[in-house]
Amino acid sequence: MAAAVGGGTTVVGATGHQALEVAEAIGGLLETVFAAVERARAAVTALLGSGPAPATTDLTRLRRGFQKELGGLVVGLGFVAAPGLLTDVPAWLEWWQLRPDGGVQPLLLDLDPATSAYSDYTHWDWYALPRSSGRREISGPYVDYLCTDEYSLTLAAPVHSPDGTFAGVSAADVYLRHFEAVAVPALRALGRPAFLVNPRGRVVASTTAARLAGDLVRNLDGLDVHACGEIPLRLVTLPG
Amino acid sequence: MTSSSPPLSSAARRAVFSSLAAEPRVDAVVRRIGDAIVLGLLGDGEQLPGESELSARLGVATVTLREALVVLRQQGLVTTRRGRGGGTFVRAPEDTLDDRLGARLLTHPTEELRDLADHWAALAGATARLAAERADAHDLDAPRRSLREFAEAEDPAARGRLDGRFHVEIAAAAQSARLTREEIRFQTEIGPLLCLAFNQPEAHREADAQHRALVDAVASGDGTRARDLAEQHVHFGLRRLIERRLDGSWQQQSEAAPPS
Repeated sequence: MAAAVGGGTTVVGATGHQALEVAEAIGGLLETVFAAVERARAAVTALLGSGPAPATTDLTRLRRGFQKELGGLVVGLGFVAAPGLLTDVPAWLEWWQLRPDGGVQPLLLDLDPATSAYSDYTHWDWYALPRSSGRREISGPYVDYLCTDEYSLTLAAPVHSPDGTFAGVSAADVYLRHFEAVAVPALRALGRPAFLVNPRGRVVASTTAARLAGDLVRNLDGLDVHACGEIPLRLVTLPG
Repeated sequence: MTSSSPPLSSAARRAVFSSLAAEPRVDAVVRRIGDAIVLGLLGDGEQLPGESELSARLGVATVTLREALVVLRQQGLVTTRRGRGGGTFVRAPEDTLDDRLGARLLTHPTEELRDLADHWAALAGATARLAAERADAHDLDAPRRSLREFAEAEDPAARGRLDGRFHVEIAAAAQSARLTREEIRFQTEIGPLLCLAFNQPEAHREADAQHRALVDAVASGDGTRARDLAEQHVHFGLRRLIERRLDGSWQQQSEAAPPS
């Protein structure tokens, strides 16, 4: 079990500058996903401000915009309503996914507690973290057994009603293997073993088999650590 | 039962309609679809996909699917309407869940249940060991919540669902999408019957104690103990089923041929 990960020293030398550039480039990749999350958030906020309490049919107006965001790293995107927000159903995900054949499909979950043990989604990090912090958050890597059955990252931002109450989250899913496909070449350019780690100390992507995605790294003492811009991941390099 | 059916969760839907391994194919199709109906995953009145689509998704020949649909029709679980707007529709059964599951259990030879327990225990044990290595404190919030809800659940079907969720959450804590999908596959295959394993108070209490011990072992990072406990838990549940299966077959035989 990992405690919060501490330690690590930020070194800025010749190689330190290169690592910083790579860290910021990787942060930039995830910023493009957060930009999609932000556009979704703005669309939902506008909808909530445009009239009385919405029903699921009102959310259909968001669909085209959500569908257009799919592609690149984004394999799923949408709005997860706070329970009780909508007038016609207790809970709802207006969620769109990219199919392997390039088409789009809605996610249809069984949200009836009488038949499904998975009806309450409010405990998932992608919902609970933005709700409690009031800020955008990255969750994962985690096994998403609710929506995709894939090892994933979810980037999410809180959505608020005009009166300031929490209304749900807008979010985007990224398959970890897709993220790895773009992050690992960048890490390789460093010429020494390197990995990305999330705030809980879980490895997100790596160029060393000694630390693989999903592993917990309990101690970063003595290692070079770089921030990925405003993205709460850290790039760690090991002595080559 | 309602006339409109709840949408299946994506995992459950994929599992229900995913390709079947090489087994006696007709039996496998009957069991897969029959279970989904018996458990209410496919609701009363819901239309099944067309024959060609369904056979492709299940990975069986159309003739195999047709034979299976004949059996399901004889069991009264589906009805077929011809012509425009026709197709195969779910007919929710009227007897109790316990009766239906008991009847379903009789279709499994005890040898098959024993072999399934071995396979499942191997998966659950390896999964628990990895979870002990890889879970952080937050990963165990979900299984801890599930075990509390399991302990409080009165309804055997809810207990079965919560036990299933608990094990999926442990698999997710192991950080393995494959092991999680395998766990979901086992639950689709046999999980419903576990309602029968947890319907007696002492079995429910025992399973609850096993859940708590397993989470504690995972939390303490003791992979060996977590593996052993997970294996024992699977064998415990399946042993209950095998005992009931043996009782059931004895009853059936004695009804068919009363001792003179």
